Amino acid sequence: MRRPLLPAVILALVFLFLIGPFLVIVVSSFSGTASMSFPPEGFSGRWYAKVFGIEMFRTTFMVSLKAGLAATVTALVLGIPVAYVITRHTFRGKGVVELFFASPAIVPGLVIGFALLRFFVYLSGLPVITGLYLGHTAILFPYTVRVVSASLRNFDPAVEEAAVSLGSTRLHGFFAVVFPNIRSGIAAAFILAFITSFNNVPISLFLTGPGVATLPIQMLIYMEYYFDPTISALSSIIIVLTVVIVQAAERLLGITRYM
Amino acid sequence: MNRLHPRRTLALLLGPGVVFLLFFFAAPLLFVLIESLRVPDTGVTLSRYGEVITDDQFAAVYLRTLRIALIVTPLAVLLSYPSAYLLSRLPHGRKSILMSLVILPLMTSPVARTYAWIVMLGRQGIVNKTIQALGIASEPVRMMYTEGAIIVGLLQLFLPIMVLTLVSAMENVPEEVEEAALSLGSSRFDAFFRVIVPLSFEGLIMGVTLVFTGCITAYVTPAILGGSRVLTLSTLMRQEALVLMNWEAATVIAVIMVVTTLILYNGLRLFRPREA
Repeated sequence: MRRPLLPAVILALVFLFLIGPFLVIVVSSFSGTASMSFPPEGFSGRWYAKVFGIEMFRTTFMVSLKAGLAATVTALVLGIPVAYVITRHTFRGKGVVELFFASPAIVPGLVIGFALLRFFVYLSGLPVITGLYLGHTAILFPYTVRVVSASLRNFDPAVEEAAVSLGSTRLHGFFAVVFPNIRSGIAAAFILAFITSFNNVPISLFLTGPGVATLPIQMLIYMEYYFDPTISALSSIIIVLTVVIVQAAERLLGITRYM
Repeated sequence: MNRLHPRRTLALLLGPGVVFLLFFFAAPLLFVLIESLRVPDTGVTLSRYGEVITDDQFAAVYLRTLRIALIVTPLAVLLSYPSAYLLSRLPHGRKSILMSLVILPLMTSPVARTYAWIVMLGRQGIVNKTIQALGIASEPVRMMYTEGAIIVGLLQLFLPIMVLTLVSAMENVPEEVEEAALSLGSSRFDAFFRVIVPLSFEGLIMGVTLVFTGCITAYVTPAILGGSRVLTLSTLMRQEALVLMNWEAATVIAVIMVVTTLILYNGLRLFRPREA
């Protein structure tokens, strides 16, 4: 079939609009001067050196990494059984359970963060980092449950029933038969959930305190005081890492299917 | 063999997740809702809501937030429909590569993504340089901290969501249906509007819902591109909560934001075609 012209032009413009700004950031990060004019004057890599020299970026990166990993693992460990029940069983109130586990993605993040802040104030003595971890875990459930459910739906329950009828216990059947077949779904859930946590601002905004901030929050704080290509350099690093991870995840797992 | 009773199995598998979300999601939200209705010495009242709603600044911010959503959503639909149509007709390999580029704005840190627009729209930015070089303006135009900047930023964030939703809707429309319309004498234009659009209508409504409600609750984009000069519901709420320390007002705004999204969410569902 001949491809019509107008949609092709629109598609090209859409790609320019979606991707162009990222290219501009990468170019501006190599600026030779502190001014943010574009195209940049001169060329240097000093803004990258500056990113690694700022201690707050290093410590907040570690906070983001640890809180994100802990929250992702928790939401997966608690979410996989939920996904299993939703796809394999029919019971009264199933619709309510599904909605319940989807709702942290429906309620605005800012509202969840604020509610958790007010709630945790009453549980005084709770370390800031614990509150951050609990809040992040809560918002990751919709991703882990949905992605693992989608993966389970593509795996024929008859295979598992065969194992059980041949004498395997349900638990052993799950780990020996089901788990190996939904591994790529679990990996996709892990990546989506971790990126969601790592990028999160609205929850972290309320659940960080003196000395404990996540990387995106620290970037916002830095931007309030300085306007030089340091954030361009840091953003470029994040963008390149994201592109690499997303491309690899799409190639190996077909991650866009789960979004 | 020691098999568990199904009910106990269900409780065992669902229990930990349900308890976690009850404690660290549902309870805090319920607590905030109750607090917004309770005034010391008066009891349960809607007076706090009255105070916020009748405030001039709140009214202006609320209308601005709706206006932004009302501009971004149709723009996203107009740009996404042709794009999604072409993407859905590509062979699997090429589609996969392009789709992983489309989702880049969704997957990248919102701070990095929005920061790009500061670089683009600033006084020395590429947009200002271009329009001066073309002679459209003689001096830099202020684009940062305007509604327009917020609209552009939100469009970049939400176009991918609309494209993703429409692509998966159009993948379910077999190419043969369209070819049938063409071979029966329909023009390509007609075939698109009378075959493709109606058959992907459910996806459209889903996309509109996600984009519209997303525009109302987005935080990072209006925070960076609007600043404290051009407030939206979410940046106003953050200002009340963390700058002015007015937790009562912040709570009321939070509840209004949730109620607005729920009304939109359920209202737009009415447009979904009924299952045959």
